[in-house]
Amino acid sequence: MKKFRSVLLALLLIGVFCLPAFASELRLAQVADISSLDPHRVSDIYSANVIRQVYSNLVQVNENMEIVPDLAESWENPDDLTWIFHLRKGVKFHNGEPFTAADVKFSMERIKDPKTASPGATHLKEVQSIEVLDDNTLKLVTKRPYAPMLMSLTRYETSILNEKAVTEAGADYGSKAAVGTGPFKFVSWSRGDKVTLEKFDGYFRGPASIDTVIYRGIPEDATRLVELESGGIDLIPGNFPYQEFANIKQNDKYLTYMTPAMSTLYMGLNTEVKPFGDKKVRQAMNYAIDKQAIVDAIYFGFGAPSKGPLSPVIWGADPSRQPAYPYDPEKAKALLKEAGYADGFDMTIYSDNRTERRSAAELIQAFLSEVGVRAKIEIMEWSALLSTSAKGIDGAFMLGWTGTGDADGGLTPLYHSFNIGASNRFRYKNPELDAMLEKGTATLDQEARKKVYAEAQELIVQECPLVFMISQELLAASTKNVKGFLLYPNMISPLYAVTLTK
Amino acid sequence: MLRYFLKRLLFLIPVLLGVSIVIFVIVHLAPGDPAEVMLGPSATQEEITNLREQLGLTKPLYVQYGIFLTNALKGDLGRSIKTNAPVVDEILERFPVTLTLAILGMIFAIAIGLPLGILAALKQNTWVDALASFFALVGFSIPNFWVGLMLMLLLSIYIPILPSSGFDSWKNLIMPTIVLGIQTMAVIARMTRSSMLEVIRQDYVRTAKAKGISDRLVLTRHILSNVMIPVITIAGLYFGHQLGGVVITETIFSIPGLGRLIVDAIRAQDYPVVQGGVLFFALCVGIVNLLVDLLYAVLDPRIKAQYRAAK
Repeated sequence: MKKFRSVLLALLLIGVFCLPAFASELRLAQVADISSLDPHRVSDIYSANVIRQVYSNLVQVNENMEIVPDLAESWENPDDLTWIFHLRKGVKFHNGEPFTAADVKFSMERIKDPKTASPGATHLKEVQSIEVLDDNTLKLVTKRPYAPMLMSLTRYETSILNEKAVTEAGADYGSKAAVGTGPFKFVSWSRGDKVTLEKFDGYFRGPASIDTVIYRGIPEDATRLVELESGGIDLIPGNFPYQEFANIKQNDKYLTYMTPAMSTLYMGLNTEVKPFGDKKVRQAMNYAIDKQAIVDAIYFGFGAPSKGPLSPVIWGADPSRQPAYPYDPEKAKALLKEAGYADGFDMTIYSDNRTERRSAAELIQAFLSEVGVRAKIEIMEWSALLSTSAKGIDGAFMLGWTGTGDADGGLTPLYHSFNIGASNRFRYKNPELDAMLEKGTATLDQEARKKVYAEAQELIVQECPLVFMISQELLAASTKNVKGFLLYPNMISPLYAVTLTK
Repeated sequence: MLRYFLKRLLFLIPVLLGVSIVIFVIVHLAPGDPAEVMLGPSATQEEITNLREQLGLTKPLYVQYGIFLTNALKGDLGRSIKTNAPVVDEILERFPVTLTLAILGMIFAIAIGLPLGILAALKQNTWVDALASFFALVGFSIPNFWVGLMLMLLLSIYIPILPSSGFDSWKNLIMPTIVLGIQTMAVIARMTRSSMLEVIRQDYVRTAKAKGISDRLVLTRHILSNVMIPVITIAGLYFGHQLGGVVITETIFSIPGLGRLIVDAIRAQDYPVVQGGVLFFALCVGIVNLLVDLLYAVLDPRIKAQYRAAK
């Protein structure tokens, strides 16, 4: 009898634990748990997703990557160097503190402080000074006319923090405390497992519909799928395995989401290494590879051959572009012959151990051998690949680029000769292109910028210090109960507008 | 006995010191560094240098090791580069999870493996023996991540009675326990069987039987206590093995344990966490080995006598 009673009690307890599931609780699974909720100290997309729900920025992007107001209601440029932001009134932080221009100044200075060593400092490196004009007006002065400023301010790395909360928490800020002005407030983080958020009733756009949000980190693809199928989670907001997507699309128990990613995959060529200094050789390699075959084999068709250096969702990507270098092995052979490599040459492709990149390298190897180029593949640790290629790698390398969402962030780091030794891993130098990229940031007229970037894209495609590969699709899936979820191309999707029906 | 124990405990110090040097050198000599991982492909050299300085990575290696060692002696393993949390907190938060799993896995392995081995030996060369041996062989041979996925398919989807991941209730522990214990179970079953077969043929067993002692008593008192010694050895060895193997189980079932902490830290080149975690693992394995040695003494009077003589 006693045993029976304890079993009953246990069942009752389990019942109680299950109860909150009837309140609206949205459970998401990402590939990894967050590393911190201090936006100024993280650089991973999983933390970014949670940060996006907790904090606000001056401006934000919408699902089409267009800039929309957030904490700043409007902004103006009295001259090319000055940005005046008019801030929203009556906004409160989760700790009850009112939001003012001083918080913006504090946040930006914290990001720029070398002691913070913020991975996001790069987004504010053009900022010369930050001045509080009054509680609701902020003046920002840049070192040079800098058109991509707004896009930098949409980044999760430039989220606005509350000085009091940061000071109070000290070293524990981001792990035990996280205070923003976003629609959800931080409740708890069980490290390595999950982070729990709760609706913030004082959110300036009105409270969200969901009461509780739980982000879990589930590293195994299969486990994430099982959890979705068994009802353990409601939403996989990204990184849905490509090979399973066709299946789940047909299953009417689930909703699926797809959008072109901001990132592109490419094979970079160190133009200082023979024979990659020769444009004809580089063009030949571009023609030699059937990118569609790689999209089909590795991304199960969920992607497209690159049309140029930018993904189509990046602001400034020229929409009139056609896929760069269609598959044409005969042309490749002819170009190689012209360049004096009729018998091909030997080269090395470096990649890190990610399945997709390694497999892409293997397919490239096969396509290159068809035109007589003998490639061997070397696998390197991720950070070693990054530093070796920055210093100048002895051949080609597999890499992806996400950028900032603005054409400048997708082009200048990679192609401006100023960045040789760092992110210009092609070590490619072209004064004409440098001038174009500088012009692109120096004018604040957005239509004029688009024209400059269209020219720059054409020049880069012609010069091709890289083999253009793939723009992949982002994939996500949820149960039918989830309504109103929009998958953002930057893979950071807000949950404010999401509702749950049970 | 106590002196022997203390002597062995003292011996752990040079072992841990050795481990700390080896792991320190390995993580620092590995190509790349945490600043590069954190800042990603767009980082400039200045940004990397600045972050390195903030993280104290620009000092000479021996100075860094000195700082690490002196702090470690004070019980401070530094702060995680990735999360900025104290490494000791991270380890202590995760360790109970891993330990629970490892112990449950071992209990599972012994609870199934031991009877299986005994049964196989008692019914040697019958179908029971063949079946038990086959079962053990299969248990040893199939990769445990596969077992995990199959169990998940069966018990979370087809017959949805268990949650497939996380660490919220006892239900979350069932599948990981099986996955973690299955290989050790197989080894214990095989070890028990062969050790039983050896002991059964010993003179003292024949004598006991000749004296007319009941089969049951011969089994429990004369056979099993002797069978236990090699079994304990294997169980002890495999406990360390399991602490390591817990990584796969923790990853499949998404359990926030120490194994996953270290693997994630290796990926991010989070030096303090890797160093602290490995050092902690070494300490655990050392202590388990010591406990196993002490268990011998409890089980085998001959060994106990040796320990006495050694003092």
